[in-house]
Amino acid sequence: MFIVSACLVGCILLLQTAVYAQDTTAVKEITTPVIAKPVKNTFQSVWIIDNQTVMVPIKGTFELDIQHRFGTVTHGYSDFWGLFASSNMRLGASYAPINNLYLGIGIDKYDELWDGSAKYAIIKQTKGKIPVSITYYGDISYDSRNDPTHGIFVHSSDRIFSFNQLIIARKFGEKLSLQVAPSLSHQNSVNGFYVKNDSTGTTIFKEMKHDHFALALSGRYKIGETTAILLNYDQPITEHATKNPNPNLAFGFEFSTSGHTFQLFMGNYTLLNPAQNALFNANSPFSYNSNGTNVKGGQFVIGFNITRLWN
Amino acid sequence: MKRKLTLTISVLAVCIMSFAFTTIQQPKPWPVPEKNAKMANPVKSNAESISAGKALWNLHCASCHGKKGLGDGSKAAQLKTTPQDMTVASFQSQSDGSLYYKISEGRDDMPSFKKKIPDAEDIWNLVNFTRTLKK
Repeated sequence: MFIVSACLVGCILLLQTAVYAQDTTAVKEITTPVIAKPVKNTFQSVWIIDNQTVMVPIKGTFELDIQHRFGTVTHGYSDFWGLFASSNMRLGASYAPINNLYLGIGIDKYDELWDGSAKYAIIKQTKGKIPVSITYYGDISYDSRNDPTHGIFVHSSDRIFSFNQLIIARKFGEKLSLQVAPSLSHQNSVNGFYVKNDSTGTTIFKEMKHDHFALALSGRYKIGETTAILLNYDQPITEHATKNPNPNLAFGFEFSTSGHTFQLFMGNYTLLNPAQNALFNANSPFSYNSNGTNVKGGQFVIGFNITRLWN
Repeated sequence: MKRKLTLTISVLAVCIMSFAFTTIQQPKPWPVPEKNAKMANPVKSNAESISAGKALWNLHCASCHGKKGLGDGSKAAQLKTTPQDMTVASFQSQSDGSLYYKISEGRDDMPSFKKKIPDAEDIWNLVNFTRTLKK
């Protein structure tokens, strides 16, 4: 028995020695498979001028937003290109309770409009695997203006707007990121009047449809490590009977620091709610009518977005 | 004459006293747990890593530590502590693991970056970039 055990131990030791000997003569590099990670920083901010970007900050991030849209620049020096005109502003806060989900709340000066939003990163662009990032963005808003006589709102539900958007983005190299975002805006109440209201029935003419499709195209081009040029275009798709909204063209700069992002731009959207902007934009980017004459050039407003992130 | 002598002695005394109570601000020791200090850098220092680190440096670090890591960023004067000069040997002699730990955890005016830069690989990229600041 002892001899058998001794032989076994001897064989094992010999094998070990042989393995060590092999190790010293031919070093084999152990390679672990590289796990592809999602592309980072497609955009620096959750905003790209008037639209949301595909970006969803990581779990535990808290954000404060200050957004401002001044008056149109069309009056020139008399109101200092809109800077001294009546302006619109929004204050917002957002939080990421889990990874890929961002919840937000905000209030606009215009219509004292409260909004609540949810954003979820569905797919993230991954080199060699997934060509684009896709994020869902949903927003519901409530016009909280005082209306004791029900002169504006017959029902409480008339105050509500909703907005649903699918954001598809791709980062092309280190500098260029492009995004396309189809959206559906909904207004609970539209203005209308009776075209026919007799014994044969009723027909109501609605000035607008309740639902409105639109498409947003946005891009960012980095001109430095912390600065970028932004471009944004929103095209209405749904045709309404009257009061068709104008497209929106916006362009500007972005400056980033560790915790802040500043965007300074010009654009046609003067509201600060995605559904209201898509439904009611009265400023034209290309030409507009003033006292019966067609004026070339758009009605642009200067605006800024400031975001502060804590994480 | 006596008055001049008294004045001279007084001025000298004030100078000596002011020097005596002036201490050169030394960076407070920043101990790093041994296991962190010994952590190996898994990200190879190449052009790609350094470029990624540089982008993060400009976004998160340059405002205090300066563009070239001299500790002379635009915010440096407002801080209670002096930002580390990263070009000097005392900084560059630290292990990659120590730098990773300090960037991740932060201390005093230096914020923790483990949430601001959530991907560990990016912090290693930043460590690799700080090596290029060496004089």
